Amino acid sequence: MKNFVLLLFSFISINAFAIDDAKLLIRDLNKKFNQVEDYTARVQMKFNIPGVRMNNMSGNVFFKRPDRFRIRTKGIFFLPKQNPMQNMSAMLLDTSSYTSIISGYELVNGRNCAIVNIIPLKSVNELILGKFWIDVKNPLVLKTQITTKNNGTIETENVYSATSQYTLPDKIIIKVETKKIKMSKMMSVDLNKKAQDKSKLNEVETGTITLSFTDYKINTKFSDSELEKTGE
Amino acid sequence: MKEFAAILKNEMIKTIRRPRSFIGFAVISFICLMLQGAFYQDGKEILATVTGQLDNVFSIQGNILNGNLICYIVLQTLIVQMPLLVAFVTGDLISGETASGSIRFLLTTPASRTKIVLAKWLSGLMYTFLLLLVLGIFALFVSRAIFGVGDLMAMNSEGLTVIRADDINWRWGSAFLIAFLSLSVVASLGTMLSTIMDNSITPIVTVMATIIIFTIIGMFDMKSFDLIKPFLFTTHMISWRSLFEDPIPLNTILFSCGVLFLHIIIFLGIAIYYFKRKDITT
Amino acid sequence: MIRVVLPHTILSPLFSFMDSAILLENVSKKFKDFVAVDDLSFEVKAGDIYGFLGPNGSGKSTTLRMIMSLIQPSSGSIKLFGSSLAENRSEIMKKIGCIIEKPDFYGYLSAKDNLKLFARAHLLNYSKSQFDDLFSLVGLSGRENDKVKTFSHGMKQRLGLAQALIHEPKLIILDEPNTGLDPQGIIDLRHLIIKLNKERGITILFSSHILSEVQEICTNMVVINKGQVVVQGKVDDLLSHENLTVKLEVVHPKECQQLLSQSKWASVMEVHDEKLFVFNMGKDEIPEMVEFLSQNKISIQRIDYRNQLEDYFLKITQS
Repeated sequence: MKNFVLLLFSFISINAFAIDDAKLLIRDLNKKFNQVEDYTARVQMKFNIPGVRMNNMSGNVFFKRPDRFRIRTKGIFFLPKQNPMQNMSAMLLDTSSYTSIISGYELVNGRNCAIVNIIPLKSVNELILGKFWIDVKNPLVLKTQITTKNNGTIETENVYSATSQYTLPDKIIIKVETKKIKMSKMMSVDLNKKAQDKSKLNEVETGTITLSFTDYKINTKFSDSELEKTGE
Repeated sequence: MKEFAAILKNEMIKTIRRPRSFIGFAVISFICLMLQGAFYQDGKEILATVTGQLDNVFSIQGNILNGNLICYIVLQTLIVQMPLLVAFVTGDLISGETASGSIRFLLTTPASRTKIVLAKWLSGLMYTFLLLLVLGIFALFVSRAIFGVGDLMAMNSEGLTVIRADDINWRWGSAFLIAFLSLSVVASLGTMLSTIMDNSITPIVTVMATIIIFTIIGMFDMKSFDLIKPFLFTTHMISWRSLFEDPIPLNTILFSCGVLFLHIIIFLGIAIYYFKRKDITT
Repeated sequence: MIRVVLPHTILSPLFSFMDSAILLENVSKKFKDFVAVDDLSFEVKAGDIYGFLGPNGSGKSTTLRMIMSLIQPSSGSIKLFGSSLAENRSEIMKKIGCIIEKPDFYGYLSAKDNLKLFARAHLLNYSKSQFDDLFSLVGLSGRENDKVKTFSHGMKQRLGLAQALIHEPKLIILDEPNTGLDPQGIIDLRHLIIKLNKERGITILFSSHILSEVQEICTNMVVINKGQVVVQGKVDDLLSHENLTVKLEVVHPKECQQLLSQSKWASVMEVHDEKLFVFNMGKDEIPEMVEFLSQNKISIQRIDYRNQLEDYFLKITQS
């Protein structure tokens, strides 16, 4: 009995510590987020999506806190339905809308990261669960795994330069799970192609979108109309 | 050379001034405008059948429904119809004159039969070129005027290829040339059958039937048909679509062009051989 | 049947020093198993109006089409103006005009546009006044700009003649050019053919089923049947020894019968229904008989005779 009580007390204590540590980490992280009211940057996009061939393209990024995010470019490009850049800071800033707990620690790119699980208390963009790998020494989100009701799980990996003082990555690699696109013959009028191996058509594959950011301009207080305009 | 130029001019005048030649232009214009109207009205819904598969995961940004996409879809729609319109005129080039008797008028001039066949064939090519030009103007330029310019989201059975707007014009130009080569095969086939048959309808129907049957074979995803497909000229006629893939399978396109060119030589050769020996008894 | 065929081994040397417009030597044409023309040889001299006769299916059209290079002979040679047709077709066709059966044009073009096509094919630049003259010559003035599909058959024949003349040929081949023409048209055509021959020296090969026209116009003729030559030569020479069938109706047939039965024509006379007298006699004897009847106060109601050539033609092709 004594051992049981001791074990229970330890468990609760550890969890309490874990929750407290998560809150502390997120608090420090949010401090950094709050330094950035808005930013603009140049972005290079690279696409590797199953069934889609698309050349790299460049454009301009516009962001205003908490969650207004816009990439402006000429032409067509794909972004995940649940845009992690849009959701990340918005998700973490409102600390009353979720609980957080550190579920473990992992090395990411040589940095010791705490794996912080975010469980929403109310529905935010249909979020079910968010996992954030946060560098414990220098609070930066190195990896995320966000699961939503209708759009599955999206993983991102953030790469920061050595001099990044803000929470603004040099590169974001977004991974999404998607099935191979099935096009009807009548839509594609794809005559005379060889018969396809239909067994592979329903396999789920992983696609990636890599965004590389340069020329960050922070807190320039750009006009809201920049978020509505089209074209680069 | 002067003599050939003279009969070529005659043939071009006859081809252009025949009432049936205008049917092709009218049909092309009508189909283009009709499709453009449909897309203007319901384009987003139609596209959703394609992009819907991606909508669960991705948000597609940018102007998808632009003139380049409409042009691409219009050209796809006319893959079977264009050869039929070409056959409608070229299948009648010689057999029509044989049936009406005016072939005697033609063959009692100093021009040799070889020159006459070549002149007729070239006039058929000229008609084909004009038909493509009208298609190009309506499908591309009118579409761009209505829907604007943008990246092309080219669809094939293996997925999507996004071609950037600044990388597309040369592809359209090349596609036009390959399409012209492809339709020249149809024109040559029509001319060949026209020399063999004595009535107006049979060559046209034969060319149409050939294209329809070959196209139907091409549509089926069956392993047994895969053996036949490389030998069908309709397989190579749509090689212009490969210009909208990434990477462009250049060797495949060049091979198809070679096959098409070979078909033209063979059909034309047979036409000249047969016509030189034909007895005009009508 | 009288068949006068001289082998060309004998004829050719005789004619070699004269201008030959058309020379067929041992020409045959076989369509699968059917022999349309069988070892045909004849010659048309430059400057002649040559009649080319034969019943339906005799090989006339096939022969004419071979001359016009529409059909290739199975064997034999065809020479036009001394040149081989097989070897010099292009040059030869510049000198020939033709109407082969009914002329066909491009109905969606006007008469003038049709002729312009033909003129262009011959590398000719025809002026407006030249076209006007040509249309006037064939009796189509005022119809130059009408679409040919609006033309009657006779008008198409006239246009066909214009097309045959447009490049000022040395030889014109006319295959039944009278078809569809009204009586005035037939007369006009006859005068035109004679005029072209006499004034311009154009050789004419003329085929027609209207034998009276052939006899009227042609200087020479050849008759073929079943693909072979039956007879050829000068028209007058061929017909000079031939008798006519003469029919006579008189006011008083009984008196006439009585009179004629004692005349030199008794042996060549037949009486039908007691009123119709039919004689087989030479053309020269007709005036003599008319004079004889007149002197014996026999009034003639009607006297006519079948075209000499008609009789001759039927005789040689049916026998």
